Amino acid sequence: MKTKNTGNVCEEQVFDAIFKANSKTVFNYIYYKFGNEEKAYDAVQEAFLKLWENCGKVAPDNAKSYVYTVANNLYLNVIKAEKVRLKYADKTLKSTNESPEFLMEEEEFRQKLDRALDRLPENQRSTFLLNRIDGKKYAEIAEMEGVSVKAIEKRMHLALKALREEIEGI
Amino acid sequence: MQENHLAKWLNNDLTEAELAAFKKSAEYASYERIVAASNQLRSPDFNADEALMALKNQRTLKDGKVVQLHPFKKFLRVAAAAAIIMFGSYFYLNTLDKNIVTQYAENREILLPDNSEVLLNADSELSFSERKWNKERNVTLKGEAFFRVAKGKRFTVATDAGTVAVLGTQFNVENREGFFEVTCYEGLVSVTFKGKESKLPAGSSFMVIDGKIIEARAAKAEQPSWLNHESSFKSVPLKYVLNEFARQHNITVETKNIDTDQLFTGTFSNTDTKLALKSISAPSQIKFKFEGSKVLFYGN
Repeated sequence: MKTKNTGNVCEEQVFDAIFKANSKTVFNYIYYKFGNEEKAYDAVQEAFLKLWENCGKVAPDNAKSYVYTVANNLYLNVIKAEKVRLKYADKTLKSTNESPEFLMEEEEFRQKLDRALDRLPENQRSTFLLNRIDGKKYAEIAEMEGVSVKAIEKRMHLALKALREEIEGI
Repeated sequence: MQENHLAKWLNNDLTEAELAAFKKSAEYASYERIVAASNQLRSPDFNADEALMALKNQRTLKDGKVVQLHPFKKFLRVAAAAAIIMFGSYFYLNTLDKNIVTQYAENREILLPDNSEVLLNADSELSFSERKWNKERNVTLKGEAFFRVAKGKRFTVATDAGTVAVLGTQFNVENREGFFEVTCYEGLVSVTFKGKESKLPAGSSFMVIDGKIIEARAAKAEQPSWLNHESSFKSVPLKYVLNEFARQHNITVETKNIDTDQLFTGTFSNTDTKLALKSISAPSQIKFKFEGSKVLFYGN
């Protein structure tokens, strides 16, 4: 998602545009990490409030990485002992001709995948889901996390590997 | 196989050879299935508009906390400025003289700080200092006024023609262009004209026309005629009479083929314009044409 941000972040319009373009991703990003909607919502509020307070110091082009950094730092010191249980929005059920056996098997696989995702390290899980659900490119995720693209590729690779091993019980 | 080939595969970054090799591997199907299933995942609902609204509310709350003291400070600043202006203008205005002006066809009654009365005739101006009143009773006059001065210290009327000084009395001062007349109705009035002081007892008047002193004459009335809405003249050049008529009736006066230096003795009304015109024209044997706010006096 690329937004053209000309002008000052302190300007209501510019700020609103940045918010609309990035708030959902900030929310997801934190949610994928901690599996807590409330925390993710608070992170969005906190990050953008900080951005507003420092709107004079942050250039529009840097606003995006600024909010991710703030959102991320917010929970740096939170003990990550909580067991993560991600919930996903209900998909609209597609009318399908598949047999009940097949559907049951699919459902079983989904549950295994969910569990496997929950057990991934947070940075692998957030990277994997940002790519799969939000369609973020590796470069974009790298920018958000403040790491190299190669590091994101590594996480992606490890995530896939770990998911398979978990699901197949290796 | 490349480093992180699973990531590369998802990103379609594998070479054809690598992809072919990967597809043959035992784990390919599993990965394919994981990716297919994970592509069905959806993130929880998030309403960006609602979140933005909530943020703005929070922002104003926070802003409110920061600026809470400002309105009061601002108020103090404004109040201080206002106080300075008020005190400043009070003292400044106090030093300024009081100034009362009448327009054409307007009379005014003024009460001075010591309860002395001044009746200001039309097109006249009176000024005095309220602040210095206790030290000296000085007024400056342009035009004509009748004074009823309360007993007390010396009361001085300064005009550009001459100065009138009294202690407590009733007198009329008229100072028009080229015309200066003081009439005393009670007590004793001292008139200083061109450095020469003349004492004016009750019932007499002092008149200067075009710089020439006309001998003191007896005034018959008890108060000036204009207080009764009339203008009286005794041997006064016609031009001053016509000027007075213009002032009292707020009418522009023009003359044609008339000797305006001829002396006029008589009275005209200050309220009834038609009657006044007759009063002026008949004794002087002149004619007039009156239309709206203009009158033309003409002779043969």
